Amino acid sequence: MYNFTSTYLYNMKARRDVYQAIADPTRRAIINMIAGQPHNMKSITEKFDMSQQAISLHVKVLMDCGLITIQQRGRERFCEAHLDRLGEVAAWVAQYKQFWENKMDSFEMYVEKLKKERYGKQKK
Amino acid sequence: MENKKSSTQDRELLITRQLDAPIDLVWEAWTSPEHIANWWGPNGFTNTITKMDLRPGGEWDLIMHGPDGTDYKNKSIFKEVILHKKIVYEHVTGPKFVATITFEERGDQTYITWHMLFETAEEFIRTVKTFKADVGLRQNVEKLSAYLAGMKSR
Repeated sequence: MYNFTSTYLYNMKARRDVYQAIADPTRRAIINMIAGQPHNMKSITEKFDMSQQAISLHVKVLMDCGLITIQQRGRERFCEAHLDRLGEVAAWVAQYKQFWENKMDSFEMYVEKLKKERYGKQKK
Repeated sequence: MENKKSSTQDRELLITRQLDAPIDLVWEAWTSPEHIANWWGPNGFTNTITKMDLRPGGEWDLIMHGPDGTDYKNKSIFKEVILHKKIVYEHVTGPKFVATITFEERGDQTYITWHMLFETAEEFIRTVKTFKADVGLRQNVEKLSAYLAGMKSR
């Protein structure tokens, strides 16, 4: 029972993770496709060399992550993109980039120190 | 089907800097193990370089020692080494990426670019995510210790 509950919670949590949404090439392609304008399920499925079931699953993951919503219009279901959550990823990419900027800072300071040791004070 | 490797913009990073030092000094600081050990790691880290064979196919082994005593092993293979111009290495332990560092002489200064290309967007996302988890965890620990310090002073 405990295992079932924890696995279930883990899956729920994992599915809501925006990183998981964009980690898959097909899901990224679906996002790209509907970013400009909403598409219905049929036209999305036609674009990919995959079963309708597989596409439906990808769409569901994207929905659970809050990146798309589905609207019923008459007999058709339209997927619409809501990409503000992707900003979360951009923020973490920026943090990761900062990590490397810090390395460059550290390199710059070290080179500066080395220069002073080598050439003394006649060079600034 | 889309080609995973066709575009690089979703799996690369570029850092550039103009350094106020001549190119021979910059090159030396980047390529000598005894210098690298002094600047490589994040704040609070120390480094041990057990091997640095600076030539195409040569191995580079660097161990980062974290403030909490954890060791992080890094193995890379140099792909290209052109004196005062370019270093390309492949980081073969996770995360897998190819780094290209270029050096350009600009009078007494040196312009350096540092480009990192991850194998796949998946690898890049995984790395950023791991980093997120890592930084997030550290921030939590910092918050907790600030909170505990606040409790003590009360």
